[in-house]
Amino acid sequence: MAPMPLEGIRVLDFTWVVAGPVATRILADQGAEVIKLERKPGPPGSRQIGLQGDLHRNKRSIAVNMSDPKGVEIARRLARISDLVIDNFSARVMRMWGMDYQSLSQVNPGIVCVSMSGLGHTGPRSSYVSYGPTLQALGGYTMLMAEESGAPAGFGYSYADMSGGYTGALASLIALWARKRAGKGQFVDLSQFEAVISVIGPALLDISANRREQSPPGWTSQEGPAAPHGAYRCRPRDGDDDRWIAISVRTQAEWDRFVAAIGAPGWAADAKFRTLYLRMRNRAELDAHVAAWAAGQSAESAMELLQQAGVTAGLVANGADICARDPQLKARNFWGMVALPDGRTTHVTGIPMRLSATPGAIRSVSPEIGSSNDYVLGELLGMGRAERDELIADGAVWQ
Amino acid sequence: MNDDGALAGLKVLDLTTARGHLCGRMLADMGADVIKIEPRGGDDGRRSGPFLDDRPHPDRSLFFWFYNLNKRSLTLDLKNPRGREILLALARGADLVIESFAPGAIAELGVGWKELHAANPALILLSIAPFGQTGPYRDFAADDTILAAMAGMLYVNGSPGRKPVRPLGLQAYHSAGCYAAISAMCALFARDRIGHGQWIDLSMQEATISAVEHVAGSYFAEGRVEPRRGTLHWSRYFRVARCRDGYVMHCSLGDWTSLAQWVAGDGKAQDLVNPEWEDVIYRAAHAEHLFDVLDEWVKDYSRDELLERAQMLRLPYASVRRPEALFEDEQLAARGYFVEVEHPELGRKIRYPGAPYLFNGTPWRARRRPPLLGEHSEEILREDLGLDPAEIATLAAEGVI
Repeated sequence: MAPMPLEGIRVLDFTWVVAGPVATRILADQGAEVIKLERKPGPPGSRQIGLQGDLHRNKRSIAVNMSDPKGVEIARRLARISDLVIDNFSARVMRMWGMDYQSLSQVNPGIVCVSMSGLGHTGPRSSYVSYGPTLQALGGYTMLMAEESGAPAGFGYSYADMSGGYTGALASLIALWARKRAGKGQFVDLSQFEAVISVIGPALLDISANRREQSPPGWTSQEGPAAPHGAYRCRPRDGDDDRWIAISVRTQAEWDRFVAAIGAPGWAADAKFRTLYLRMRNRAELDAHVAAWAAGQSAESAMELLQQAGVTAGLVANGADICARDPQLKARNFWGMVALPDGRTTHVTGIPMRLSATPGAIRSVSPEIGSSNDYVLGELLGMGRAERDELIADGAVWQ
Repeated sequence: MNDDGALAGLKVLDLTTARGHLCGRMLADMGADVIKIEPRGGDDGRRSGPFLDDRPHPDRSLFFWFYNLNKRSLTLDLKNPRGREILLALARGADLVIESFAPGAIAELGVGWKELHAANPALILLSIAPFGQTGPYRDFAADDTILAAMAGMLYVNGSPGRKPVRPLGLQAYHSAGCYAAISAMCALFARDRIGHGQWIDLSMQEATISAVEHVAGSYFAEGRVEPRRGTLHWSRYFRVARCRDGYVMHCSLGDWTSLAQWVAGDGKAQDLVNPEWEDVIYRAAHAEHLFDVLDEWVKDYSRDELLERAQMLRLPYASVRRPEALFEDEQLAARGYFVEVEHPELGRKIRYPGAPYLFNGTPWRARRRPPLLGEHSEEILREDLGLDPAEIATLAAEGVI
C-alpha cells in the first residue's frame, strides 16, 4: 500500500455532530490515527451507512466516562501521546477537565489543540448554542438564499458544518506544520461562524467598501455578466419533471456557439440579443426563448449537445444522478465501496483530492463506540487486562 | 514564537484563474510567500466586479481583492519561451505550484508536471479543474453555477416544485478552494515521508459533492433522492419563520421543556404541551405541525428579542440576518474579525474579513494588500532569480513581463 501523508500523527477526537467529525475524517482519510473519545455505546450498526458512515470511517473509538475522574485521567494520558486534540465544545468544557491547551502543553509541549466552537471562545456571545443552520442564519446566507419574492427558500442542509469541517482540517494541518519549525504546538480557537462567513466572498468587500446592500443572487452571475444564465426546465425523465439544465453564456464566441448548437432559431438573430450588454438588458425575453428550447430536450442530451459545442452547461443533478448515473464520477471511481461487518457492502463518499503518490484510502467503516478500547488502553497506554477490567467495573470505561 | 506565520518559508507559485484563487489566499494568509503569476493584461479576476466605487479597473476589482490578499503579483507571458524559462527557474525554488487551467493546458505549453518535476523533484503541483484531469467530462466547460449544478448542490436549494435558487457567494469554487488547500498541506506532509513532490488532481465537482452533507448519504443509505425542502432542514429540526420585523430560525433541538414552557406562557402552545413532544424523534417526525404552531407563536416577536431570550435558555435559535449585519456584530468586533487594510495608492483603508481561526502562536495576518498588476515583477526577478536591472528591462521591453 502507498504511504499515507499523515501516518504517525495521532488525533484525540472529542468532536461530535457534523463539523468536527468532517474535519477529523479528512485527516483520517490521509492516514492520521484518529481516536474518537465517545460516550456510552448506542445501538450497533447505526452509523455505518449514509452520512454517519462518511463522518466516522477510518477512525477508532473508545467509550470513556468523562464524568468520572478516572475517565478524565485516561483522556489526559492519551493527550500526552497525541499530536492533536480537537473538540467542538464551548471553552468551559475542556478547561473543566484540565484538557485545555494551557494544561496539556505543560505535559506535552508539542500538542496542538483545535477547538471548533460555534462562535469562538471569546466575546460576548461565546456561550451561544448553535448548529449549522443557526450560523447560516446569523451570517446572512439564509436571508439571501431567496426567491424573487424575497422570502428565504433554503438551505435545507447545513453548509456551515461542511465549511467548518474543511476549515478545521486545514487549521489542524497548518498548526501541525508550524510545529515542525517551531518545535512546539499551539492553540487554535476556531469559530465555525467565522469559518463560514469567511467564504461569503467578494460581497463582503462590496458591503464594506461600497456600502452596497446585497440582494439575493437569484440567477445573476456572481462572476462577471452572463446571459443566458439560468436553470431551464427540461423534458421529464421517467415521469420526473424536476429536470433542469443550467446554462452560462458569457463571451460573444460562446453565444455564437450556443446559437449554432440549438439550431440557429430565428429569435436568436434578433438585434436585441446581439451583444452581451443587450442580452443582459433583455434577459427576461431571452430566458423565455431558452426555456422554450430546453422544454423539448432531456437534461442529459441538452448538456451533451451544448458541451460538445463548447458551451458552459450542466445537468442540475439530483442524488440519483450523482450517485448512480454520472459517467464522470464512475470513470474516476469517485464513490468508495466498503465492507460492513455483516458481510454486506455500502458506498461511501470518495476522497475528493487525488494525490498521485499518496492518495489516502478508505480502510474501514465507522467503528462501533468503544470498539478500540482494548487497543487504546492496552497497546497505547500499556494497561493490563486487570486494570482495564477494573476501569470497566468502576464505570470509567464502557465496554 | 515569532509572528512571521505558520507557513513562513513556503514558496507558492499561483497560476490560478479566478476559479482557483481561494486556495493560494488561504496559504498566503498564514505566511506562505504566494506569487500570483498573471498573464499579460492581468488575471481574469481583475475584470470581475464588483469594483471599488463601481469604477471598473484591474486594480479596483473587489472580486480580485477578496481572493488575492497577501499575495505578490508577477506578470509573465507563458506563451513566450523566455516566460516559461522564468517560470521553471522560479519553480526550482518553490514548494508548490497551483494551477486551474483547462486540463492539459500547462503540459501543452511545456510547463506541465513532467517539466516541473524535472526542474524540481521536491515540487508539488496542484491542479484544480472543474471535473479533474481524467474522465469523459474532463474537457467540459464549467463555472461556479455549472459546478454547483453537477455536484448536486443546486438541486437541493429552494422550494419544492420551484426553480432551484443559488447561494450567496461562489460556493462550489470555495468548497474546492478549501479542499485544495487541505490537499496541498497533505502533500507537504507526504513530501517529508516520501522525499519528493507529487501531482494533485483536484476535481471541483468532487469537492463540491463532499460539501453537501446529505445528498449522497440519503441515496446510499435509504435510496432517497433528496428533494428541495425550502427552509425545512433535512434533519427536520430547523425551519425559518416570519416574525414581526423579519425572519427567525426555529430549532427543535435543545431543552424542550424550556421552549414548551415559554410558548405555553405566551398562551400559544396549543397541543405542544402534550408529553409526546418531549421526544426529539417525535418532534422531527411531526416537524410541519410543530413549526406551524411555533410560527404562530413567534410572529409578534422581534428577531432580537427572540434571539436573546432563546439563547439565554440555551435554545439554538437564530435571527435571520442580512450579511450587512456582520459589520455591526458585537461578537465579531470583540474578536477583531474584520481588519483594516491600507491601500496607500487610493489613500483609503478597506475593512476585510479576517481570520477564520485564531492561532495563538502563529496568527493569521493581513500582511499586504492585494497586489497591483505586476507590482512585484521586478522585485521577484531581482531577489528570487538574481536578474540584473538590464535583463529585467529587456524582458519588459520584449513583453515577457
